[in-house]
Amino acid sequence: MNNIYEVQQSNKIKSGFIVFFFFIFVTLATYLISSAMGIYSGYEPGGLGFAGIALIVSGVSTFVSYYYSDKIVLGISDARLATKQEDKVFTSVAENLCIGSGLPIPKLYVIEDSAPNAFATGRDYDHAVICVTTGLLLKLNRTELEAVVAHELTHIKNYDIRLMSIVSVMVGLVALLADWFLRMSFHSRSKSSDRNNNQLQIIIMILGIVFAILSPFIAQLIQLAISRRREFMADGGAVVMTRQPQGLISALQKISNDHEPLEAANKATAHLYIANPFKDKNSSAVGWFSNMFNTHPPIQDRIAVLQKMS
Amino acid sequence: MNITMILLVSVILLALWVVSVYNFFVTSKTRVKASIQEIGNQLKRQADLIPNLEASVKGYLKHEKSILEMLSEARKLLSKGQDATKQISEVLPKLQVVVESNPELKANTVVSDLMGELRDTADKVMYARRLMIDLTADYNVKRVTIPTNIVANLFKFEELKGLETAEIGEHLTVNASEMKSPKVNL
Repeated sequence: MNNIYEVQQSNKIKSGFIVFFFFIFVTLATYLISSAMGIYSGYEPGGLGFAGIALIVSGVSTFVSYYYSDKIVLGISDARLATKQEDKVFTSVAENLCIGSGLPIPKLYVIEDSAPNAFATGRDYDHAVICVTTGLLLKLNRTELEAVVAHELTHIKNYDIRLMSIVSVMVGLVALLADWFLRMSFHSRSKSSDRNNNQLQIIIMILGIVFAILSPFIAQLIQLAISRRREFMADGGAVVMTRQPQGLISALQKISNDHEPLEAANKATAHLYIANPFKDKNSSAVGWFSNMFNTHPPIQDRIAVLQKMS
Repeated sequence: MNITMILLVSVILLALWVVSVYNFFVTSKTRVKASIQEIGNQLKRQADLIPNLEASVKGYLKHEKSILEMLSEARKLLSKGQDATKQISEVLPKLQVVVESNPELKANTVVSDLMGELRDTADKVMYARRLMIDLTADYNVKRVTIPTNIVANLFKFEELKGLETAEIGEHLTVNASEMKSPKVNL
């Protein structure tokens, strides 16, 4: 039996810790790789350095997808606006939860797809979007639907879309830098023979190479860990809103028992959904290791946490 | 020089913090007031909506019920071997009207729509109260926890009551009849 407030408190601390660790790691990796690049090539481009250029490139591409996230995702998923006549339960449930949480009502969309799933996106409260599939509306009852919408509203409330965008800029930064550095080592092998005698420089070079090889991978793993942690937070937040853990438990069970993959989802939008939209990857063998590569925690773990609350 | 700079910066930071905490308390109070108005708003919606819905559903049910009664009366006469032509000729035109305007008798959906509306209204009022309770709880927690309680005491922010609930009474005790699981009799 865990008090929901304590659960949310510990979720916040854990999430903050992972995010903090992530930024430390990215800073370290960026610093090491770019100084190794400087040593190797013998010059730093402009006043920005390689890190600056990489930050701008990955920043611009992610910023566009972040700023227009609502439009892009809705365009990909081919969603239609939910109406009071057609989707009465969905719209009234969302409206009620917004009364309860003090958030403005997000734009509500429906995707024609029989696989039950839902996601939230949008850069701030005024551009927030909640999207559900017709399968979800058909298969869940009102209490379960309310829990799912509350989960999505918590993502919006916690600015998870913003956080995940910043994190993916950082992952992009590290990946770009590492890529450039490794390419450089293959191409221009001539210049640096006169600079190699400094020991510190050699150490930085070696560390740079190690980080260039490993850090894109590690950064991505931490990104996934953050994503999973935010899912737990959204589950907890949904219970704080509805006070009915049972609703979310049975909704998650229904969603996970449905083995139809969601057609509208792709790898880029997978982390947005309430449950992983790619289902049938031998879910029986979900070990600690394969779990590391998932955007979502295993449903059983989420249900176990929820059951402790009820 | 350095020390005075550090002092100055920390005083400014402290002042900014006090201002932000003060603003938290006053905004919370305003929000709580607004959330109380929202409860009233939802109650008014409920008071306007439910009697009207009830009346229209009742009207519909009465209409359907009278047709069913007439039909069963005619059937009763028939089963006794009596002549029911008169009753049937009475009920037939009415039945035709109903069948033409509604291909099926649908008291079922009318009632379930009403139940859905009732639940929705109750939820809306409940969530309006929830917001008020949450806002006052946030305010009251900040009022008593370190370090924000210093600012609260400095400006004498009083505790907000939230949803006023009797602190003693039947809802905190369980009596024997409530220990049994309820049976539903329809």
